[in-house]
Amino acid sequence: MSAADVSIAPAERPLRHISARFLRSELRLIFGRRRNQAGMGILAVVPIIIAIAVKVSTPRPGRGPDFLSSITSNGLFVALAALSIELGLFLPLAVGTIAGDSVAGEANIGTLRYLLTVPVHRTRLLAVKLAAITIFSLVATVWVSLVGAVVGVALFGGGEMTLLSGTQIGMGSAVLRLAMATLYLGLCFASLGAIGLFISTLTEQPIGATIAVVIINVLSFILDSIPQLSWLHEWLPTHWWMSFGDVLRDPVAWGDLTRGLLTAAGYMLVFWLAAWARFSDKDVTG
Amino acid sequence: MQDEAMSIFEKSPALRWAVPAVTAVALVGGGSAVGALQASAGSGLPERSAAQLLVDVQKARLDGLSGTVVQKSDLGLPSLPGSGGSGGMASSDLTSLISGTHTMRVWFAGPDKARMALLGTLGESDVIRNGKDVWVWSSQDKTARHYVAPTSATLTGAAAKHSAAKQSATRPAAGMPGAADLPTSPQAAAEKALGAISASTVVTTSGTATVAGRSAYELVLTPKETTSLVAQVRVAIDGAEHVPLRVQVFAKKVSDPVFEVGFSAVDFARPDAAQFAFKAPPGTTVTEAKVTDARVSGAGDVATGKSRAVAPQPSSADMPKVVGEGWGAVMVVKMPAANAKTGASGSTGGAADKNLEQLTKIAALLPKVSGSWGSGHLMAGTAFSALLTDDGRLVVGAVTPEGLYAALAAR
Repeated sequence: MSAADVSIAPAERPLRHISARFLRSELRLIFGRRRNQAGMGILAVVPIIIAIAVKVSTPRPGRGPDFLSSITSNGLFVALAALSIELGLFLPLAVGTIAGDSVAGEANIGTLRYLLTVPVHRTRLLAVKLAAITIFSLVATVWVSLVGAVVGVALFGGGEMTLLSGTQIGMGSAVLRLAMATLYLGLCFASLGAIGLFISTLTEQPIGATIAVVIINVLSFILDSIPQLSWLHEWLPTHWWMSFGDVLRDPVAWGDLTRGLLTAAGYMLVFWLAAWARFSDKDVTG
Repeated sequence: MQDEAMSIFEKSPALRWAVPAVTAVALVGGGSAVGALQASAGSGLPERSAAQLLVDVQKARLDGLSGTVVQKSDLGLPSLPGSGGSGGMASSDLTSLISGTHTMRVWFAGPDKARMALLGTLGESDVIRNGKDVWVWSSQDKTARHYVAPTSATLTGAAAKHSAAKQSATRPAAGMPGAADLPTSPQAAAEKALGAISASTVVTTSGTATVAGRSAYELVLTPKETTSLVAQVRVAIDGAEHVPLRVQVFAKKVSDPVFEVGFSAVDFARPDAAQFAFKAPPGTTVTEAKVTDARVSGAGDVATGKSRAVAPQPSSADMPKVVGEGWGAVMVVKMPAANAKTGASGSTGGAADKNLEQLTKIAALLPKVSGSWGSGHLMAGTAFSALLTDDGRLVVGAVTPEGLYAALAAR
């Protein structure tokens, strides 16, 4: 590849242009696929089911799991409850599917070879892939939040929101806090997507890469629940995900959120580099 | 430059793997090193004797502070159902403080303005003192309990000075009186430790430490009592504000602290008054409760806080007795009569009976011991031992089992 690289290296602007166009086509592919659209539909089902289930059931006092018991007081809690339920499997699975497909999928159907004949540096290709995964992760999380918020507010109304600290905030700040939680989780899932991108360079079977991502996700949750491994917990990719609830404290507890974002950034960097190390001299067949 | 680097990787592709590996090591190492560097950084604090430090602490005038407190306990207890705090999920239940790691946020602006928030996963419990009003809020079950503190003096006298509200409401459930004494703020913990100083303790200083990014003196208390399970108590005192920032309890059996409570972040600016305002949000079950002086100062350690709701007030004959003093002190509690016929109490029993039943069941699993004092089941933790005798006495202390037997024999 060195000969090709050297010859196109000075042409920075066209390359950037190619990258942007490449990213656009990548996103069109992701969001245009029927199976991905169906996946987004399933993601949206959870908040809808939550909202309807809470609406038709008679209110019972006492403690409910997570945010479920708060839904009747403010519809935005539908979004938060949906996020807390889907962060265990559904959202990581969605991101894992896209990430697992990113390189292995193209290798599998043979388009990767054609892609590389276009003068796209492999490093750039990986950068675009990670950007697309991150964007998908954010969009999927926002989608769940948005459906939850719309359905929730339609069924239960909005108004003042009671924070975990017992303080009440107005609807505007409540929406802002929901947006913060959504953004945080979207970036967390993107870090899992980076792991998926790396795995995707190891195989030509996208489904295998997706399963590996889900296994890593579940394994991380399992390890996180073993007290004897407490030294390991803060380094696990999923450990800080539940900290998204910290945006609902008064004042917002930034400590764990910051740690969570740093951990996510660390995973993204390391696994993107690992993907680069693997992909740069990978024989592309198919 | 780039081409040069590329050609190196070209020649030996395996070298490429060094890039993510080195990055990973640097990130993990860097993350860990930040803490280590802070700890070893020169503090520049002038030397101070133990006595001077004690005076400093007594004289410290705390105008206000806010910060994050992390409490870790590893008391060598078998993990009990519902004791919480294990694994990735943090419980915001105030009774869960007994084990595991807990994060609390604290705000303090004078003895009658204090707030403590116990952070759980998607939950929070708050204890807020604002003037005469004391609120205990739980986000999980949407309840708020309201106490009207009798006078500032009674409350502050009973518990530690700065954290009266926190103390009285954060004591874990009854049934574990030894562990129920766990203080929940550095101030309370330090004062408790300093109160125990007498002829029984060797007090030394061990240079400086860094807690929450601040330079601090360290005071080391070493018990003389041979039966004590406690090897050392280390109290870190802020170099500038003379406020205790961290308390660590080391047991003789293990090298890591068995109990630690300290700030992970602290700010000595007086927090905003709005921080202490609490209004029960709509949809909350509000209970009005009254704090009587007797409960605060007399009944003390066993039946304060959360346990008040579940455990009946023991009659005066069943009051816990303390045998011995200093580090060797042992608490002897006569269990209520219901205990004698547990298992038969069935569905008629209330929450308290259920607790007792559970306790007896757990005790039955523990090794059986006997001696001249009778027989019973022993739980030997790293920081304290507990013994439930067959005649229904619960003996607890931060001492070796031998210390417990001696206390029983002495009665």
